[in-house]
Amino acid sequence: MKTFRIRFLLVAIILLFCTTAYGQKLELDVREHTLDNGIKLLMLEKHDVPIVSLRIVYKVGSVNEHPGITGASHLFEHMMFKGTEIFGIKDYDSEKPLLEREDELISKISVEETKGNDADKEKIKQLEGDLKEVWEKQKELIVKDEMWSIYLKNGATGLNASTGSDATYYYCNLPANRLELWAFMESDRMKNLVLREFYSERDVVMEERRLRTENSPFGLLIEQLNAATYTAHPYGWPVIGWMSDIANMKKAEVSRYFQQYYSPNNAVIVVVGDINPDEVIKLIERYFGDVQSQPPPPDVTTVEPEQRGERRIYVEYDANPISSIAYHKPAVGHPDQYVFDVIEAILSHGRTSRLYKSLIEEKRMAVMAHAYGEPSKYADTFLFFCTPRHPHTAEDVEEAIYEELERLKTTPVTDRELQKVKNQLEADFIRSLESASGLASKISSYEALSEWRYINTLVEKTIAVTPEDIMRVANKYFTKTNRTVAILVNNKERKGTN
Amino acid sequence: MKTIKGRISLSHVLILIFILSGFSLLQAKMLFAYDGHGAQTIEPQTTGPQSEGARIVSKFKYKPIEFTPPKPERLVLDNGMTLYLLADHDLPVFNITTHVRTGAIYEPGEKAGLANLVGNVMRRGGTKTRTPEQMNEELEFIAASVETQIGRESGGASLSTMKKDIDKGLEIFADVLMNPAFPEDMIRKEKDEILEDIRRENDNPGQIVFREFRKILYKKEHPYSRRTIGYKDTIENINRDDMIAFHKKYFHPNNVIMGISGDFDAREIVEKIKIVFAEWEKTEIDFPKVPAVEKEFQRSVNYIYKDVNQAHVVFGHIGIHRLSKDYFPINIMNFILGGGGFTSRIPSKVRSDEGLAYSAYSAFHTPGDLGFFFAACQTKSESTVKAINLALDEVRKIRDELIDDDELELAKDTYINQFIFKFTSSASIVGQMVEIEYEGLPLDYLETYVDNIKVITKEDIERVAKEYLHPDNIKLLVIGDMKQFDKPLTEFGEVNTIELE
Repeated sequence: MKTFRIRFLLVAIILLFCTTAYGQKLELDVREHTLDNGIKLLMLEKHDVPIVSLRIVYKVGSVNEHPGITGASHLFEHMMFKGTEIFGIKDYDSEKPLLEREDELISKISVEETKGNDADKEKIKQLEGDLKEVWEKQKELIVKDEMWSIYLKNGATGLNASTGSDATYYYCNLPANRLELWAFMESDRMKNLVLREFYSERDVVMEERRLRTENSPFGLLIEQLNAATYTAHPYGWPVIGWMSDIANMKKAEVSRYFQQYYSPNNAVIVVVGDINPDEVIKLIERYFGDVQSQPPPPDVTTVEPEQRGERRIYVEYDANPISSIAYHKPAVGHPDQYVFDVIEAILSHGRTSRLYKSLIEEKRMAVMAHAYGEPSKYADTFLFFCTPRHPHTAEDVEEAIYEELERLKTTPVTDRELQKVKNQLEADFIRSLESASGLASKISSYEALSEWRYINTLVEKTIAVTPEDIMRVANKYFTKTNRTVAILVNNKERKGTN
Repeated sequence: MKTIKGRISLSHVLILIFILSGFSLLQAKMLFAYDGHGAQTIEPQTTGPQSEGARIVSKFKYKPIEFTPPKPERLVLDNGMTLYLLADHDLPVFNITTHVRTGAIYEPGEKAGLANLVGNVMRRGGTKTRTPEQMNEELEFIAASVETQIGRESGGASLSTMKKDIDKGLEIFADVLMNPAFPEDMIRKEKDEILEDIRRENDNPGQIVFREFRKILYKKEHPYSRRTIGYKDTIENINRDDMIAFHKKYFHPNNVIMGISGDFDAREIVEKIKIVFAEWEKTEIDFPKVPAVEKEFQRSVNYIYKDVNQAHVVFGHIGIHRLSKDYFPINIMNFILGGGGFTSRIPSKVRSDEGLAYSAYSAFHTPGDLGFFFAACQTKSESTVKAINLALDEVRKIRDELIDDDELELAKDTYINQFIFKFTSSASIVGQMVEIEYEGLPLDYLETYVDNIKVITKEDIERVAKEYLHPDNIKLLVIGDMKQFDKPLTEFGEVNTIELE
């Protein structure tokens, strides 16, 4: 059979062969370059297809917010698609006075509204009318979603962005010859962003919150679980923000946020694909080199106090029951994290995992049972989610999960179970090398949490976990005192039985 | 690696909020165009850039891309099995993806859910010589997976394994396809889990919408109107013999198209395939007759009460099948109307201009027989009617007015320049060939793709918009709390209220 595929260097460059079950050391050969202004550039060559996967990561997320502005990171991420002084607008000089007038009117309305019952309704109406007029004028100048169209026109796929508690990611895959276009547009966003159509986008985010959280049993449960789990740490509020905070968010606050966190010294650029790293460095220096660095953003210093006893909450909603359990665990970098990775795999990866076998196949109590223990930048939680099968209750499946945790505490896991986790880890690593986009995402997310090198020691350190480690960690963290339980209960059924 | 059945989306667990995701799967599929002859990219031609930034980037010059996508080899074995092969020695992995001509459309209405049940228990229940526990353990220990499923109009099976375990993987894969055991206890378990899924379906408005929309669009007798997982009573009508018979009827080598990719030697792998499937014999299959979809357009307004503060809206009507001669112009038309993300008209109006929805889009669902056109969004109860009208106006407008040159260019350039992303892995290359052949598309589909896009004109768009969009005869479905709507739904006609099961 003939194949005409020309592939060179791929394996040699990505994989450094050494020793494991595959006779290889599973490592990524990422090239690193830091600009004078602090931007960190991470590159990985992959020459099989002439495409390039690009990411910009800003190390800012909901963890950097405070009550009153929860959701600011996420709302800001939406604003990044609205254009700059030269994109998305026919003439910025004509728009500028309109934007200033918008701010002025918004602040007048807000002053009037805070008077409560004494507010001058007529005045508010008048101001709102003026505001509408400003927006109409601005609309004539706006070129709708222009950056998005330019990217598409040039063949971009996977255009997207996401906000998490620790970082905000911007995604784009392009044909490899379009790299300069990306560098130009992204550096312009970093330098000259304009908070355009801010208030209509705020409405979009409120719709997003209604969709994902308020009318979704699962979304609602997770939000309430986190709120009950953390009494002090910012992981307690939702990434999307509380509704009242979104509704009252002001452009000025978001703008301050941008100044502080969207600085080059807080940004990472990841480039994976058919590239020449020396050329990429030149290109990135040319477009991003002149962005002014800012004082380093403040650290998150709040530490969640040790939990002093089980917390249980019930979330009433018109839906069938779901159970969720959270145990506090340490941040990324703590050696116990590798043990949690193994525990997650043993409990919930695949049809031979313990939760699947026990809750679904043997006891037949549940239709879904999942454990989740990935690392975060700060101390977070090891989570369980389970949907019971009627007539089994949320409490029944909760008990069944505890039984499995007790087993972890008292009986060493078998060598075969551990070997299986190891085999899967190695195979997953190799499979992950197939996708430029997947690699770019992996490198950027580990860089945001700690640093990309974490990937290169992950397999090795996870493989070193012993049955004794697992028993120790299970005994230390999976205690009643350390847990928060949130259960979704059907309020319609409740009304009937009360 | 398949983890425990994600009956409820676990994406929330990631606590990441994905933002620009206004695309359904359907739509995403349409966004990524492919094409065949060498993957050059083309220079976007902008009809007068409107901003300074656009003017600057319009002057950028790009080095041409030279890339000849690898072409898988096609082969038909003596037993009738069609193979696509593409060797790729970069990584020590091996993958098979398979389409089997079967589906829920072939099951009788009183046994709705049969095909789905067969597809799930085939793998889950083990084979005549391997218990489920043995098989799971064997596969997962070597980080391999074998999965099967049967959907509305096709069946599928896949194998993924490391190179060193190809023999073991193939052996189990063939065993599952040929000799599933369908043990009674597994059938019961699977049924009970499906019944639980059905119990939970009404918990989430997003899960109700398309289930009910199908019932409104298609006649009750047509399998397109049914739920593929079945219903409480029909699931209980299915017994083990039905399942064995269903499997026996459709799982024959001459009914299978297999795409094989990864680190192997082509000649060797064909021999191995022949050996593991040696017992599998060519058999004539008598496919049950599926009634043709009736092409009728009649307006109806449908409402389902749910205690939520955001309405789920969908409207549309019967559309086209996958082999429609107008497939390409319709796709481009829909890209401009509501399938192209932010810049297309419906999201631009409903989301970007008015801030009324997070997700607003339109799409053509194109199965084997006539599928449907639809537009959908979710909006706070107080803006329900306003959002529907905005989207509907866009459907009218694209029929009544010729589109702009730059809209057409944006759509066509997007399709052509995204083409290269169809070839990012050998598994996706063979996968798309399997699909092309399964759907009955010409085998040179990829080679002619770019030309098919290039020839589309504004007039074509106008023609297909007029022919395939019927804004005055839409079927509208709204789920929410009518008391909070901005205006009564009667604005659109007499309201038919549907009670949830």
